[in-house]
Amino acid sequence: MPADKGKRAAAQKRIAEKRAAEALARAHAERRRRVIVGGVVGAVLVVIAVIVVIVVQTQRTSTSASAAVPPHTTDGGNVIVVGNAAAPVTVDLYEDLQCPNCKAFEAASGATLAKLVAAGTVQAHYHPMAFLDTAANNNYSTRALNAAAVVVGTAGPDAFQKFHDLLYANQPPEKGSGLSDNQLISYANQAGATGPTVATQIRDLTYGDWVKKVTDQASKDGVTGTPTVKVKGKVLADLSPAGLTAAVDAAKG
Amino acid sequence: MERDRSALVLWLATVGRLVVGGVFLVAGALKLPDPAAAVRAVRAYRLLPEWLVAPVAFGLPVVEIAVGLALLLGVFVRTAAIASSVMLVVYIAGVGSAWARGLQIDCGCFGNGGQVAAGQTAYPAEVARDVGLLIVALLLARWPRSRLALGTHLTAPPTEKELLRAR
Repeated sequence: MPADKGKRAAAQKRIAEKRAAEALARAHAERRRRVIVGGVVGAVLVVIAVIVVIVVQTQRTSTSASAAVPPHTTDGGNVIVVGNAAAPVTVDLYEDLQCPNCKAFEAASGATLAKLVAAGTVQAHYHPMAFLDTAANNNYSTRALNAAAVVVGTAGPDAFQKFHDLLYANQPPEKGSGLSDNQLISYANQAGATGPTVATQIRDLTYGDWVKKVTDQASKDGVTGTPTVKVKGKVLADLSPAGLTAAVDAAKG
Repeated sequence: MERDRSALVLWLATVGRLVVGGVFLVAGALKLPDPAAAVRAVRAYRLLPEWLVAPVAFGLPVVEIAVGLALLLGVFVRTAAIASSVMLVVYIAGVGSAWARGLQIDCGCFGNGGQVAAGQTAYPAEVARDVGLLIVALLLARWPRSRLALGTHLTAPPTEKELLRAR
């Protein structure tokens, strides 16, 4: 009998071991199942989030097709031309009113450009941009460019040029709080844009969508830094008065 | 000794997870507030056709955030590490190609619209940062186990409770 007992014990042990192994396998399988389910759920959630964000951001960046375009602009409303439209040399200027390098360029070479425009040699094509909005400056880039659009719409390109020069001469620091709407209105009046609508259009960001549109257009034109100056379509590397004059002389032929 | 070393490796993997995950989470989150700038940043590379620019500019940050969260929490670490490696390779290629073509752009890695003042490009630093992150991400893809990971119990041996339930 003891031999029989020993056999039975061995069999029982084998069965117990087999059961334990099966339980372990089942536990592993169950866990794998849960990992797969978790992975699929996670992947689906990411895909849904991507789609939702694309839709929301598209809505946030879309501009109305019927967005107000300031009068006295050309090229689909994207460009403000200052000077004689028959002048032989076109100078394209991509600038942000909050950009310190643009201020430096204007301080150094603005007078030279103005002389060339006055002489009928150059037509200045301003392609304004607004990409230096911050919470601290209360979206100054956008507010300033909207005000510039109000000025050109109300009083034409020469007033725009004056307003543009005033804002660069009085540019607020880049990390500062920007100029207030009241200051913008006062500079607009100084530049020659007067009348009851000027103040309301500046305060209401009447040309806000236009500002977004021209900024996007400049990016589509391949401009990634300001100031970008092109003389007869060629990017000007030397932005000094001498560099500008030399490039214009060469372009004049 | 052996035990101490493996413990150290597990903690190093945790640090790697937090670094790569943290960078991806921050990079993705910073691109959401100004979608127009994100579009300009992607367009500035001049690599994608215009119809693809906006979907990439809007969708990529979400993937970055998802990968960052997975690494920070320690779930699906290997998948997230592989995904971040793929993205980093693409970023390195993108920045390298902008550099090679002489474009004057900011990588737009942490938001902002890709604009840069003349002569202010930082290509070497941008590439070096991405290569460093890529190395960590690849190590994580090879050895994803780490401490303080929510997903740890998924790879550890089954617990008594799970065995009992399976019986």
